[in-house]
Amino acid sequence: MRFEKGQRFGEVRFELTPDAVREYVAAVEDGAVVALGGDAVPPMAVAAYAVRGLLSEMPLPPGSIHAGQELEFVRPVGLGETLAVTGRVLSAGERKGWTLATVELDVRDGAGQPVMCGRATLTAPVEAA
Amino acid sequence: MSADVGTQLRPVVKQLTQEKIDRYAEASGDGNPLHTDPEYAASTPFGGTIAHGMLVLAYLSEMMTAAFGRAWADGGRLKIRFRGAARPGDTVTASGHVVRVTDDGRVACAVECRNQAGEELLNGEASCPSGEAPS
Repeated sequence: MRFEKGQRFGEVRFELTPDAVREYVAAVEDGAVVALGGDAVPPMAVAAYAVRGLLSEMPLPPGSIHAGQELEFVRPVGLGETLAVTGRVLSAGERKGWTLATVELDVRDGAGQPVMCGRATLTAPVEAA
Repeated sequence: MSADVGTQLRPVVKQLTQEKIDRYAEASGDGNPLHTDPEYAASTPFGGTIAHGMLVLAYLSEMMTAAFGRAWADGGRLKIRFRGAARPGDTVTASGHVVRVTDDGRVACAVECRNQAGEELLNGEASCPSGEAPS
């Protein structure tokens, strides 16, 4: 696929089920999750599942690389919450055989209130993009 | 531990294996063969599989959670650049220290992850409302 400035993705809804969060915590060996208190989900789990949702709409070519990341965690997210993610291409260009794109992601709860936002900088081989 | 400038956050150290990378690919749904297919990855400039950036970033987030507790999930911010690839067999260390405390009470930390050779994998800044001092 090719990125174009202004291109939008989503909205994709996803649920942070206890099983999914348990799988994530095990995969990253998060030993600090108890410090979040209550049933709060690790914030990077929210980010990972949001990115998973976006990837379902903007499949990246093999060899794509994550070059940078900005994130803001607006509020703790609880187990079982259903969220929705949207994405928008802020910038896109080509250089030396690679596409470089910055994608903004916005994650909101069932009431439409923001819970997380951020920007990912991605590179992908031009011939495959 | 105080939130004074210079205060070191307790590092998080993880041993990376291909099995762990595969497990993260499964959990996150990111099946980029650069992470999971040794034959494909060998044909890339990396010469072999590498860990997902978001997996390495999760180690850094664990460090921030351990230091700031719920405040990290309730107003935490980060901005990082990936500087190098983490590979199966690497020992990844996430570390950081307080660089400033803003007037509105945010604690800003310089953060990074390095491998066992001291090579930088990512660096940047993470900040947190200072409801809780780093511990």
